[in-house]
Amino acid sequence: MTGSQTAAGAQLLQRFRARAISFSKPRLFSADILVQFADVPVIVRVRDGSVTEIVEHRVPLQSSDFSIKGTSEGWTKFWQSMPPAGWHDIFALNKRKEFSIEGNLQPLMAHLQYVKDLLACARESIK
Amino acid sequence: MSVKLEPIVGRYTSFDIEGKRCRVYFEEAGSGIPLVCLHTAGADNRQYQHLMNDPEVTSKFRVIAFDMPWHGKSYPPAGFQDTEYRLSTSLYVETIMSFCRALELERPVVMGCSIGGRITLQLAHLHSDQFRALIGIEAADHQEPWYDTSWLHRGDVHGGEVCAALVSGLVAPQSPEVHRHETLWQYMQGGPGIFKGDLYFYRVDSDLRGKLTGIRTDLCPLYLLTGEYDFSCTPEDTIRTAQSIPGAKVTVMKECGHFPMSENPVRFREYLLPVLKEIAG
Repeated sequence: MTGSQTAAGAQLLQRFRARAISFSKPRLFSADILVQFADVPVIVRVRDGSVTEIVEHRVPLQSSDFSIKGTSEGWTKFWQSMPPAGWHDIFALNKRKEFSIEGNLQPLMAHLQYVKDLLACARESIK
Repeated sequence: MSVKLEPIVGRYTSFDIEGKRCRVYFEEAGSGIPLVCLHTAGADNRQYQHLMNDPEVTSKFRVIAFDMPWHGKSYPPAGFQDTEYRLSTSLYVETIMSFCRALELERPVVMGCSIGGRITLQLAHLHSDQFRALIGIEAADHQEPWYDTSWLHRGDVHGGEVCAALVSGLVAPQSPEVHRHETLWQYMQGGPGIFKGDLYFYRVDSDLRGKLTGIRTDLCPLYLLTGEYDFSCTPEDTIRTAQSIPGAKVTVMKECGHFPMSENPVRFREYLLPVLKEIAG
């Protein structure tokens, strides 16, 4: 970990947490998703379509269903109100290696639009 | 009648494709030069409804968009229940040529998007003497895969939902919400395994790199238009392809994604109208 990456990750997490903690959709989906902002990983707990908890991922061997990890630049551009081409979708970012998507992808693919919307919830609103 | 009717008319016709009788649904509007439109993988001809409602287009072109067999309102051929759908390059070419023959279209323009764009390259290679012009939207001779297509058809993932969610990122963020979600709805309504079967052509059977020799753009102009937000068929993929085809004309469409005619018809027509004007002469 580098200090600057940790600081950037903490800022990104703060921004995500402010929006995601109230994220809810009518969907039978429950998962523990490891989301990483630069150097800062957290577990996002989803129960029956609602985010119930966002907890720091500090304990070794902590379990999660799948993970989505992104660079500071990746999250920052992804959350622009009009993200630039190639930075506007998690798979575009995965293709350009700014994001990595790993683990058991079945729950991700079964609820893909939910997860995409959750991760994009910190996007700037259009002025 | 007090309500206003759109000019689009839908019809069915039946003809053989590779020896199998197919009942094919198509819609059309306008009169003049035939303009046959090919939908993307896993979708249907609704993608061209905005074009068919555009008087600037239909005043000079007879716009015709058909649902490929297995798509939209076109049933699969009889006996389909015992087969797995897989689109091949040869089947795709034969489908288009058979449709044009069935409707007795004389040197039509063919415009296709995504897989429909890829196949216009093959049409240019094999049959350019039979077309007035070819327009490939989001077209390239090859592109790098960005996901495993086995996710598109399996028991523990809803096919329609995952198809739509995957391609949702290919719609440009500037596209109007109403058109974004209409485009995704098309993907939610595809038959089981059909998007995956179309992508057999795209991913496995149609790597056209180095195979597009002899294309005569002086006889049959070739236009390639690609959206800047398409990370599946990127502008770089299209430009690389065009560089191997003397005379091919490339346009990168700002603020457009992989489905320009469907996701942002107003922006798309800004790029398409000059091309159609050039073709009409």
